[in-house]
Amino acid sequence: MSLFVTITLLTALCFAISAAANHAGLATAPQSAPFFGGGTSEPHAWQRYHFRVYTMTLVFIAFEMEMMFMYPWAVVFVEEGLKAMAEMGMFLGILAIGLLYGWREGVFRWQ
Amino acid sequence: MTLLRRLAASAPPPVYPCIGPGMLDPVERLFASGCARRALSPASAGVLLIAGVVPDRAAAAIDRLHDQVPPPRRTVGWSGADEPSNSLHDAWSGVLSGDGAEPDRLPDEPPNEWRGKGDHGHGGEGMMGGTPYGRPMAMTGEDPRDGLQLDRYTMRVGPFAPMLPPGLELEVTLQGDLIAAARVLQPPFPQEDTASAPPACAARMLRLLGLPHHADRLLRGGRVRAGVLCAVPKGLGAAMPGRDARARLRRWLDGEPGAAQAPEFGALITGLEWHEAILMLNSWSPEALRRAAEAA
Amino acid sequence: MSPLVLTLPVALLAGAWLAAWIDRLAPALWGGRAAGPLAPLRDGAALLARPNATTEAPDRLTRWLAPGTYLVLAAAGLSVVPLAPGVAAVDSPVGIVVWGACEALTVVAVFLHGWSPNSPFPLIGAYRYTAIGLPVMLPSMFVLIAAALPAESLSLIAVVEAQREVWNLVRQPIGLPLFLIVGLTLTLRGPFDFADGADIAGGTSAEESGPGRALWQLARLTMLTAFSAMAATAFLGGPLGPGLPAPMWLALKTVAVMLLTILACHALARTVPSRMLHLLWVAALPLSFLHLALAGWVAL
Repeated sequence: MSLFVTITLLTALCFAISAAANHAGLATAPQSAPFFGGGTSEPHAWQRYHFRVYTMTLVFIAFEMEMMFMYPWAVVFVEEGLKAMAEMGMFLGILAIGLLYGWREGVFRWQ
Repeated sequence: MTLLRRLAASAPPPVYPCIGPGMLDPVERLFASGCARRALSPASAGVLLIAGVVPDRAAAAIDRLHDQVPPPRRTVGWSGADEPSNSLHDAWSGVLSGDGAEPDRLPDEPPNEWRGKGDHGHGGEGMMGGTPYGRPMAMTGEDPRDGLQLDRYTMRVGPFAPMLPPGLELEVTLQGDLIAAARVLQPPFPQEDTASAPPACAARMLRLLGLPHHADRLLRGGRVRAGVLCAVPKGLGAAMPGRDARARLRRWLDGEPGAAQAPEFGALITGLEWHEAILMLNSWSPEALRRAAEAA
Repeated sequence: MSPLVLTLPVALLAGAWLAAWIDRLAPALWGGRAAGPLAPLRDGAALLARPNATTEAPDRLTRWLAPGTYLVLAAAGLSVVPLAPGVAAVDSPVGIVVWGACEALTVVAVFLHGWSPNSPFPLIGAYRYTAIGLPVMLPSMFVLIAAALPAESLSLIAVVEAQREVWNLVRQPIGLPLFLIVGLTLTLRGPFDFADGADIAGGTSAEESGPGRALWQLARLTMLTAFSAMAATAFLGGPLGPGLPAPMWLALKTVAVMLLTILACHALARTVPSRMLHLLWVAALPLSFLHLALAGWVAL
């Protein structure tokens, strides 16, 4: 409860500061032109940007789910002893195989 | 003057340099001396520095950059003869006090008229056509590596880009941050020999690798350890095996001058990601790039 | 809600000023000029005295949402750090999870910051940072979970208690270097400054000026403060120490981590994003697996 209240208040405060600081007045067209080092461009910068590492993000999600498992695991680890270690080892091993497969398939290259 | 303005006036002025022929080395030394701070874009600058005599082909670019500095702004011309720090400091004080503000040089018109036009009054037509808010949207084309059809964004990176040699105009078509096509529009300006000397060239590459203090140390005559070479990827811009960007940087760090002329680089940077392409371009001296661009 | 929350703004601002000053002392290590303690204030004033710049068709909402989010994530991250053994501004039983959430949302904040100006260089910076920032979250969590293993709890207060005999730095030595990678990424510094790099003309900050720019730089510095406090808590025992009062120990250890981070930022070169991605997945992540296995074995 206290965490929720604190973060809500902090968020409201920081957003207010940010909105006040980023209050921009009117700018003429040449003042608001995007920067190209003196050059020009026709289209908007917003585009269907080719985010080349989207395959990497799939592997990332797999590890993220493993992280979710690790949060409660860390709390009971010392109690459960080697059994918990073995379980985590198995989980990580399976994911490591996936990581290896991804590496061989080239998901970590910029394409 | 309020406290804020007094504090700001004692800070080094943020200056965006438009570097003309023969002025690259003096400008780099000016910024390395610390009397002004180099702004990487005009939006973060307060003073526009025009160093040297800029040829007419770049005059429109200077107008565009001048207007991109948020007003109040000042322009300072520097011919290289005298010390510019006083005039920069005076210009900065003028910017802070807001008097004598310079008006826009270009007319206040959007690139395409869009107000009231199109389906909803914002210039767009249908799903993707027209010029919403003054510019068209980027359209698709085949990707050189993937074969996917994603947007191609063409821009002309102009004569005074901070990561390119001054005067070089490139028309690049990007897909994401990969360069799908590149064309040299104008060669870089001729610079004096000290700008193509090994310490200055290595300093430029080190700045792109995120090591500004190492770069300043090189300009002061110090040495930099070769550990930084690991950061440059192997095989970048290799004209021959063993002659890639990493080898060129190693030669510069050892104090040896590099190649006198670069290969035709418009085709070389195609297919590279932006950071790799910029590192590769900066692994040749401005003079080498100029000769390559003029030969093509 | 504890009144200790009021210490957060003070701590963040003081930490931001100190970090900015250490940044300006760093050139002395390479023969440059070191600046005095007023230099960050002067540079901040130089930014505040300028007007805000806009672009043609920006996203006005994310323009202020991004720096505000970044700032609140730094504050939230610092709020779970214990100031004295058993005392924190927010006594959360899952402090490590809160910090993990703050880390993950930082990637979103930086992306939105680059998205909002509708300009090519900030956009490249935003996407590039996302591609690197996401994989960095993984070693971060492995390292923090490993720090939580001896404590048998995700609460930072328990993690501090578990370090009474020996610091986590001693029994889990590669934890702090791996966590430093995370810190450099969260604060857009040095070898991980893909969002605001020099090759994209300042990246996500390229079209910024005035108080907006000052706020973004301040947010980066407050995030550095929060990260340093977190690292000091998880690896250096936080407020534990003989003699001096507990908050002073925390402050000293925070400053030590800050010095280390800023040194790493200025001394290490930044490689190209594709290579960095490769290194993160192929080197940093398996290393953090190993670290977790070792930590688990030691804890048993």
